[in-house]
Amino acid sequence: MSANTVAITAEQYNYDIVKKFAIMAMVWGLLGMSAGVYIASELAWPFLNFDIAEITFGRLRPVHTSLVIFGFGGSALFATSYYVVQRTCQTTLWGGKWLPEFTFWGWQLSVGIGVVLYMMGYTESREYAEFVWPVDLGILVTWVAYATVFYMTIKNRSQPHIYVALWFYSAFILATALLHIFNNLAVPVAWNSFDSYSLFGGVQDAMTQWWYGHNAVGFFLTAAFLGMMYYFLPKQAERPIYSYRLSIVHFWALTFLYMWVGGHHLLWTALPDWVGSLASAFSILLLLPSWGGMINGIMTLSGAWEKLRSDPIMLFMITAMAFYGMSTFEGPMMSLKSVNALSHYTDWTIGHVHSGALGWVAMITIGSFYHMVPRLWGTKLYSTKLVFTHFWIATIGIVLYIVSMWVSGIGQGLMLRAFDQYGNLAYTFVETVTFMHIPYVVRALGGAMFLSGMVLMAYNLYMTVWGTRREVMPVADQSALAATRT
Amino acid sequence: MSQSPENKKGQVETTGHVWDGDLREYNNPLPRWWLWGFYGTIIFAIVYWILYPAWPYADTYTKGVATVSFQTPVLDKEGQPVKAADGTVEMHTKTEHWNSRALFYQEMQTSPSALAQQEWLAKVKDMSFEQIAANPDTLNFANSMGHALFGDHCAACHGTGGQGVLSMNPEASYPNLTDNAWIHGGDYTKIVQDMTNGIQGNMPAFGALFKGEKLTDLAQYVLSLSHQPGVNEEAANRGKASFATCAGCHGANGTGNQMIGAPNLTDKIWDFVDVTGAPTIEGKLKLVEGVIDHGLQHQMPKFSDRLTPEQIRLLAVYVRQLGGT
Repeated sequence: MSANTVAITAEQYNYDIVKKFAIMAMVWGLLGMSAGVYIASELAWPFLNFDIAEITFGRLRPVHTSLVIFGFGGSALFATSYYVVQRTCQTTLWGGKWLPEFTFWGWQLSVGIGVVLYMMGYTESREYAEFVWPVDLGILVTWVAYATVFYMTIKNRSQPHIYVALWFYSAFILATALLHIFNNLAVPVAWNSFDSYSLFGGVQDAMTQWWYGHNAVGFFLTAAFLGMMYYFLPKQAERPIYSYRLSIVHFWALTFLYMWVGGHHLLWTALPDWVGSLASAFSILLLLPSWGGMINGIMTLSGAWEKLRSDPIMLFMITAMAFYGMSTFEGPMMSLKSVNALSHYTDWTIGHVHSGALGWVAMITIGSFYHMVPRLWGTKLYSTKLVFTHFWIATIGIVLYIVSMWVSGIGQGLMLRAFDQYGNLAYTFVETVTFMHIPYVVRALGGAMFLSGMVLMAYNLYMTVWGTRREVMPVADQSALAATRT
Repeated sequence: MSQSPENKKGQVETTGHVWDGDLREYNNPLPRWWLWGFYGTIIFAIVYWILYPAWPYADTYTKGVATVSFQTPVLDKEGQPVKAADGTVEMHTKTEHWNSRALFYQEMQTSPSALAQQEWLAKVKDMSFEQIAANPDTLNFANSMGHALFGDHCAACHGTGGQGVLSMNPEASYPNLTDNAWIHGGDYTKIVQDMTNGIQGNMPAFGALFKGEKLTDLAQYVLSLSHQPGVNEEAANRGKASFATCAGCHGANGTGNQMIGAPNLTDKIWDFVDVTGAPTIEGKLKLVEGVIDHGLQHQMPKFSDRLTPEQIRLLAVYVRQLGGT
């Protein structure tokens, strides 16, 4: 063992902050996904709105998206990035105890207050950026602190090289700051009002919003989780990353190309045609750079495929890569104008988002958490069998979700463009809604299955950390832990 | 452990960097299919950008080489359409760089469904309502168009089948169009007029005029007009005198007046409160008393800014037919 590989032991890492974020990721995940299942049920059975404004679909929908993206995904990214940056830099987190602690409270309070305000009816009405301006400011301050902690930790590293996972986390932190600031430029109505006016107007406002919207997908939900993948997948596989060269090329291609594609959300609208076709072509260019990450993930397991039989954590990670590959193929296709003419404004988009969000983002997070949580608390995973069960429930749930949304979205798209022999519209809008009822029921079922998997995970992790059958191990570094594995 | 773990193919080394004990990277070359695939998408993008409007420069953008052609009126120097001797507008073919507006014009002029619709619209253009309804072909066309228009513009209130909504709450009730009791008249021209301009329905509140027993007696009389079971004849007779106030709109016999939208009270059809659905006479009285007490306000929006006159005409044929004779 070379001298620089284990220069620091686990006691010297700041695991406390990682644990806090990991717990909150699970809490927000359960709440956010419950909200998702509820609003999916509202679409299938509208009586569930109960005429209570706070729980109608319109208010709960941003609660769902903000909780799963920023609450669950965001907290998971804080947790894993703090874990990964310490372990791959062989140094403790910069900023002492209080600065990382500040990022924790800043983030949790912003998300928590933000979603309660949604239910009370306060929103900026910008998709995935609905937080009102005071919450936006809270996020901004938190993010600056986060970036400082993260970059200063890298600066203090006792490793000569910066690991690939950290490039992706860095890109995510930088891009998110940029996106958050520019999409939330707004003038408050009054200092004591939650309402504000956007600095931009008309189609420029829409373009700014979708420049933000798609890059939130690109950097928050993709680059950052690729960072997670680049650390946890090879760790769990106990194999080297497949190709260093590929990681460089696809990193730069991905980060360069993502910034151009937001216009594909506004095809066939008041957006000038040139902005749309520019974005469409860039979306096609994104296909292979995205697949670079998938190849690097899946091929890392090459030569150790038998792990898929025995290791359900590996199953989660590899399935995540497969869903990542699928949704990054689907996305560019949907960006083509002719396909978009059918898919836009239908549930096909919702299905696409969830094949990425559940299949890729959640699956890689779940796999990483099953790997990380026992190591954080110095215990062994409570039950591997439960992880297998979780995997199958989650996977079947996702498949039900995606397939039902294909049926609903493509079906509605085709119905809306169908003409009869007189050249009149063959279907009214409400007939397409009636048609979508059964897919909506199946979607709610798929979502409920995914949520049940999360409940199993919460139980499994709870028992891992605090359970009675806990098998206490001495806090040890990674290689000692690996040695204990049978 | 600083050596790279065994690589089965044995030809690739790691970069030599190690992180966190055991994280390493092979230095495999880029997969060839991946690289050629990437080149392929670059070629695709370049072709796409050459074909379509794409890159901004100065205060304009590259227009692309793809074009769209469509017919457009010939304009004179003042920008007015040039008309031929017989009054028809002169058209000529215009070719523009690819853009979605031109594409829309082109599609409306060339797609089979648009052409089919235009052909049928031309057929019914000079036909009367009765002629459209009498000819099975044109009636089918009107019904096909009416179905789509009704579903997207009328069904939200009147129900997908035109059955309306009849509840105990007059604020949440919308008239049934499938019976033949037309509140505002069921002539084609009247239906067209109402859809074009909308309707303001207003019955004043008479709560100040009729109270307590007087109100109940009047309600008894109103119910007796349609021979509701359980009506107290004595009370109804007492209430008859009060009905003189109502007769101004509903007529001396209570048969209503379509000119001002006063419903017929002598049939068993109720439009705003579900009297038939109330199981007891007390319930029925309460509903009628409520209407007399508070009056009724109902609005139907105008559709002249959403539908063309031709669409409204065909929709009238469809709606008229829902209500029978």
